[in-house]
Amino acid sequence: VDRLERLVNLVAALLDTRRPLTRLELGERLPDAYPTDDHAFRRAFERDKEVLRHMGIPLVLEPIHPDRPEDGEGYRIPRERYELPDPGLDADELAALHLAASAVQLSGEWGQTAATGAIWKLGGAPADDSSANNTAVALPGSEHLAALFAAAAERSQVRFRYKGEDRLVDPYRLSFRNGHWYLAGRDHGRDEERSYRLDRLESPPESAGQAGAFARPAPASVAPAPPWRMGDEEEVQARVLVDASQAPWAVAEVGPESVEETRGDGSVVLSFRVTNRNAFRTFVLGFLDHAEVVGPPELRRDMVAWLESVAG
Amino acid sequence: MPRPAADDRLRRLLAMVPWVAAHDGPRIDEVCARFACTEEELVADLDLLFLCGVYPYTPDLLIDVDIADGRVWIRYADWFRRPLRLTPEEGLALVGAGTALQASPGSDPEGPLARALSKLAGVLGVDADETVEVELGAARPDLLGVLRQAQSESRQVELDYYSFGRDGWTKRVVDPWSVFSAAGQWYLRAYCHRVEGERLFRVDRVRDAVVLDSTFKRPTRQGADGAVFSPRPDDALVVLDLEPGARWVRDQYPHEGAEELGDGRLRVRLRISERAWLERLLLRLGPLARVVEGEPGVGAAAARRLLARYEHG
Repeated sequence: VDRLERLVNLVAALLDTRRPLTRLELGERLPDAYPTDDHAFRRAFERDKEVLRHMGIPLVLEPIHPDRPEDGEGYRIPRERYELPDPGLDADELAALHLAASAVQLSGEWGQTAATGAIWKLGGAPADDSSANNTAVALPGSEHLAALFAAAAERSQVRFRYKGEDRLVDPYRLSFRNGHWYLAGRDHGRDEERSYRLDRLESPPESAGQAGAFARPAPASVAPAPPWRMGDEEEVQARVLVDASQAPWAVAEVGPESVEETRGDGSVVLSFRVTNRNAFRTFVLGFLDHAEVVGPPELRRDMVAWLESVAG
Repeated sequence: MPRPAADDRLRRLLAMVPWVAAHDGPRIDEVCARFACTEEELVADLDLLFLCGVYPYTPDLLIDVDIADGRVWIRYADWFRRPLRLTPEEGLALVGAGTALQASPGSDPEGPLARALSKLAGVLGVDADETVEVELGAARPDLLGVLRQAQSESRQVELDYYSFGRDGWTKRVVDPWSVFSAAGQWYLRAYCHRVEGERLFRVDRVRDAVVLDSTFKRPTRQGADGAVFSPRPDDALVVLDLEPGARWVRDQYPHEGAEELGDGRLRVRLRISERAWLERLLLRLGPLARVVEGEPGVGAAAARRLLARYEHG
């Protein structure tokens, strides 16, 4: 029997059954599908289970009779967890999703496979009308994205290691900003909202506990922090003078609310809070001699000392 | 091409069967287009589907497949009346792509994509824009619009552009080849007539763009979008010794080789096209980097230039 035929029949049997089926019962219901040798049967069945679980099919192992555990356990696929509810997409909506999935590439092989798989489940790629949309967007992937998305979507807590500490976090939201992916969420150890850069996680995130464990606050309260706010240092209000030629993107980066003064020559004084002095210095140095730390004296002294050490 | 593995075929079959069953004899070529397969592959899978069902496989317990006049019908496939739920990866791929496009300047907040995302949120059990947020970089919608239009009409553009690498403003005529977002920034890939070569321009550093009457002919071959840094072989070579705290340089920039020096230290060879770029890197790294080959004193000279700003008090 063809492997694909066996897999289709296995899924049908597991969806069809009312009570969990043991491996041996499944063998009887798929005659000639598995090797007769028990050891080989067991191995082939394990491989099939692996394929189904890898595809995201909810294959459960549970007691055959809930009140008689001594009867042993069996397998089934609960329909309500298998079936995708119909989102009721209109043709133009499916076409728009398809277009988005082709224009935006999540880098890495899984991104393309996942996008194609998702479009198939929604009814497949509609007749191509590839309209004048020529936007191409490349989003870098991250090995932790999918796991954190799943946790954020079902609102279950996650554990991971970050900056040398084990964290327990309510994952609120994933953000792509300045070319990096961030997770925003509530850090239980510190009892406050934090942002974590995904490429700096020191261990893979592990799901901890039940779905629906917390309520997600509205987006505004957890905009991901800029680099100079991603730290635990004592907070200081920095003031930076930026020349007119660089002012537009300096303002875009720190936010228009940070503009303290716009001078006659078009230069601006930006005032913003800093809790990571290294990141702040990198940001200001990016403007070369078009920017200057004007206050407070402590930050200005730091910058001068740094530059003097480089000047030699 | 190798034959697709059984699990790839199963993935497609479990999505394709419910769709065909829900439609009254769709055309085979349409099914193939929707599910990205050839007619041979589709017919092979359908031939096998005939044999599928549940024990004891009497005719009433088998899936019924009819192929006639270039159309296909699937009946009695009630086990597969709906496709499988989306995996987290699939949900993320769609929501991520959709949110990214929705976030790009000039998108329609009430268009079909926005409606699709909100319907999708219902079946995924998440509010798409509350779970994933994508910022593709600052760019004025009017500028992006102008550049895209010039690109689609193959018309030249005069840019007033700030070059980060040279640290100065210049006007130049370019042939706009493509507009795209990568690494959190919007870029224009174009042929620049000023330097007579292909260049990448950051849209947020364009002060003004004027579409000209002159047109250009698109090259048949062009660089891949998304490769933002592409050093040229005639760029100057710089060799840096990096302390452990600066190892990230190796992963962040294209280089021509890195060797371990022991104790976590690293030697990297970089191609540098613009002096200001190297100045920024050296100023940022400070004591964590040492130039061992290439123009000496670049970092120190830049630091002294910056220090001049601080001398007045």
